[in-house]
Amino acid sequence: MPRVVVLCVIFLSFVSSPASAQEPQTREEADRRRREQQAQDPATYKPNGLERALDFAEDRAIFLLDREGVHPKLGSLTTGSGFAYGVGFRDRDLFSNKGAVEVWAAGSIKRYWATEARLTFPRLANNHLHLEAWGSHRDYPQENFFGLGPESNRDDRSDYAIRTDHFGGRAGVRPVDHLLVGAGMEYLEPRLGAGQNDRYPDVPVVFPPSEVPGIDSRSDFIRSAAFVEVDYREPINAKKGGWYRFDFSHYDDRTTDQFTFNRFDADIRQFFGFLAGRRVIALRLAASTSDTEAGQTMPFFFMPTLGGNETLRGFREYRFRAPHAILAQAEYRWEIWSGLDGALFYDAGKVADQRSDLNFKDLESDYGVGFRFNTNSGVMFRVDAAFGSKDGNHLYIVVGGVF
Amino acid sequence: MAITSTSSSAAFSKAAIAGVVGVLAVWSAVLPQSASPRFYPDDPLWTDNDRVADASKVVEVEDSNSYDFVVNTLGHPGELRDVRALNVNTVDEVPDSSWFTNRIGRNAMSTESVRRGPDRAERINVTGWKVSGGKSAGVQPGFRMTDAEGQIYQIEVDPPSNPEIASGAEIIGTAFYHAIGYNVVDVYPAEIDRDALVIADGATIRDPLNGRRRQMKKYDLDNVFNRAARLQNGHYRVLVSRFASGMPLGNFRYYGRRPDDPNDLVSHEHRRELRGARVFGAWLNHDDSRGINSLDMLERTNGRAWVKHYMFDFGSILGSGTVYAQRHRPGNEYMFEQKPGWLTMATLGLYVRPWITIDYPDVPKSVGRLEAARFDPVQWKPEYPNPAFANMRPDDAFWAARIVSKFSDAAIRAVVEKAAYTDPAATDFMTKTIIARRDKVVATWLNQVCPVVDTTLSADGTLAFTNAAVDAKAATAPERYELNWFRFDNATDQRTPVGEAMRVTAGSARVPNGLTGDFVGVNITAVHAQQPGWANPSTFFFRRASGGWSLVGVERGAQTSAPTSARR
Repeated sequence: MPRVVVLCVIFLSFVSSPASAQEPQTREEADRRRREQQAQDPATYKPNGLERALDFAEDRAIFLLDREGVHPKLGSLTTGSGFAYGVGFRDRDLFSNKGAVEVWAAGSIKRYWATEARLTFPRLANNHLHLEAWGSHRDYPQENFFGLGPESNRDDRSDYAIRTDHFGGRAGVRPVDHLLVGAGMEYLEPRLGAGQNDRYPDVPVVFPPSEVPGIDSRSDFIRSAAFVEVDYREPINAKKGGWYRFDFSHYDDRTTDQFTFNRFDADIRQFFGFLAGRRVIALRLAASTSDTEAGQTMPFFFMPTLGGNETLRGFREYRFRAPHAILAQAEYRWEIWSGLDGALFYDAGKVADQRSDLNFKDLESDYGVGFRFNTNSGVMFRVDAAFGSKDGNHLYIVVGGVF
Repeated sequence: MAITSTSSSAAFSKAAIAGVVGVLAVWSAVLPQSASPRFYPDDPLWTDNDRVADASKVVEVEDSNSYDFVVNTLGHPGELRDVRALNVNTVDEVPDSSWFTNRIGRNAMSTESVRRGPDRAERINVTGWKVSGGKSAGVQPGFRMTDAEGQIYQIEVDPPSNPEIASGAEIIGTAFYHAIGYNVVDVYPAEIDRDALVIADGATIRDPLNGRRRQMKKYDLDNVFNRAARLQNGHYRVLVSRFASGMPLGNFRYYGRRPDDPNDLVSHEHRRELRGARVFGAWLNHDDSRGINSLDMLERTNGRAWVKHYMFDFGSILGSGTVYAQRHRPGNEYMFEQKPGWLTMATLGLYVRPWITIDYPDVPKSVGRLEAARFDPVQWKPEYPNPAFANMRPDDAFWAARIVSKFSDAAIRAVVEKAAYTDPAATDFMTKTIIARRDKVVATWLNQVCPVVDTTLSADGTLAFTNAAVDAKAATAPERYELNWFRFDNATDQRTPVGEAMRVTAGSARVPNGLTGDFVGVNITAVHAQQPGWANPSTFFFRRASGGWSLVGVERGAQTSAPTSARR
């Protein structure tokens, strides 16, 4: 019983007090108490996994496409190689930031693989001189071949392997902004072999050697080239401006003296932006032509080709091949979000056995729609679906842009 | 027997205790609770002493760009709640704190004071300073220099395409944000002779291409100046920013609290000065208003550590995009906003976002892309969602807009002139555009609640007030004001209406008969055909003081229930 009384007294004295002695009497006191209370129970901030990962990636410039040091090498090795992945190393510090050395090696899901070493001095002589040297090995085991000329047949699909070593260099001069003029030389050792795709026959099985010049070649070549390039795109992933390039190459057969030829390539790209650059009309006209001296032949593997994700998207890779080719492409690109564009495209082109046939008659064509994940510096990744060709529909998922 | 006796005693005790507890429970329920009063004797507080607890255990939190973007765009951090800002004092103002210092909003500032901003010197000369390291973050090319006393400064250059654009924006933004009340660092324009620069021994840089820290080299400076606008004399105009004192703690966030800072009591999304920053951001097109453009520094006073919160990096405000003229989207749409994106995708681009068609005036390149004609303060947006901005209410916006209204045309011109644009046309355009945007901001956000301010109640019972919107020429006078008086019980938070609704046409009225007590209040609305927001009441509380009444409380707009911590 006494315990009950004591409890009552304590309780009553507590609840009947007009203001408990514990209650702060001023705002400042109330706030001070809250802070002191919080100080007694300090917590340490712990970043979550996403935060740590993104912080690390940004800190180490992992997202940077031209990252210094060791970096992943992602993308295709050539048209039709499939997705390739590998590793590279880049160092700009080697020459006090005047030059850069880069080496990489990568293999693709279709067993293509390549390795390359490249030394570049892009801004010598107060940004007026560009020097470059390289060596590479490329092993493409299942390149498509459908025959030569515009009348090649889809059903004649065959394949071959080509392994090439390249060693070369070039110099370019920028006399004025936007203009680069240069020349270079390259040693090439292409070696052909049987195609590795078991679903298709080798080239010699479908085509006699007389219809495939160079199929038995073991020639080495020296390629001498001169070029002019005008680039006033804004930005590199252009919303306006233009990019024009003209290349003249002389391929000298150093082994058999059967396959010496000249090749001229012109590529003109123009971009018209409107609605604050959120809509772009992109146009491309490309042509390639070649000639040989008497008794010489142009090997098939150096001929221009059409078909695949960069040219006629409604056709297989290398669907058309001949000594001459012309290609016209148009795209309407519209920005959906920053970093994502939609595109409607139309491609038309043809290859020709004779230069006189290089015109806009009887073009193969296709159309389609695509999406591009991009930055101002270029397209990182795109999806293109092409329709309307005589070869059916094609879907491409590609690392990199088209033009 | 003894056992039986014991059992009876225990049973009695239990019954007695149960009975007493029951009675006490009822009693305690009918007794007045000892809850905190609405107004303490020291209200309103004009200083929030948020240095009282030692914060020396705070650690650095540095958000990455990508995390800040991802978490704010996709994560909806913080709390979205229609609640009055939790750090305002009882008269609905922001007390001085480690976040904010009342300047032009509370006290008149001379044009010269506004222009000068936080600067300790009129101008600065970098001759003799040494390059002491690379710049740690941001897209604007730059580096660090140290003066003879060891004070560190950040040096940044303007892009060749738009000389003076980023430095001008930074200088203007710093002066405005300082006068508003935020902590900022002092910034100065200066001229640098590239050939005279000397890299100090031990200067390091975090390589931008791989993130590794290494010795700074001459070509690192070349990389900066290759991307810099050059003056005719071969020198470079640069922006010189003084490093804040103390130890860097990374950035603050516009949501949550720093868990290791005992002084950080209020979730940041519910801080008035961070919510209201949306208004200032809209005015000055500070689309870069985000956590990573803030800075926390650990300072020490009297041996006790506390965190000071800075706003910085104004290089992308107004018409500047820092390294180019600002693009069309920033300020008009988030970087990732679903609806317009899907619409654009589905219509193959036939749907044209409204901001794409804004026709920006042809102005000097140092201005960039800025306009006032299509500017809509309500529709303005930062680069991505900001939790504090999302919580902004009419009372927060009113507070901020009233500060904006305090910037006179002359003060605005003086601040713009501080940017020292070479082309007078740039100064003229910038001044006119900021004034026009100010007028839009003020007209928009001073009129969403009844804009009655400066309310006094004299000892003889005369209420006097002014109209902030009318004073700022953001509206004409109302048809009438409607006043409803009440008696206020500070202990129970109860309001008892007194008298009939009172209608007046001018800014004064008499207290109704029978209004007695220690606390009284009046609820005021205004009737104006063009200002429907004025029906949103403002309520004023007065406490009897020696010789009259003192204003002790202000509420603007309809109040929702708030937690106890909000009742300040």
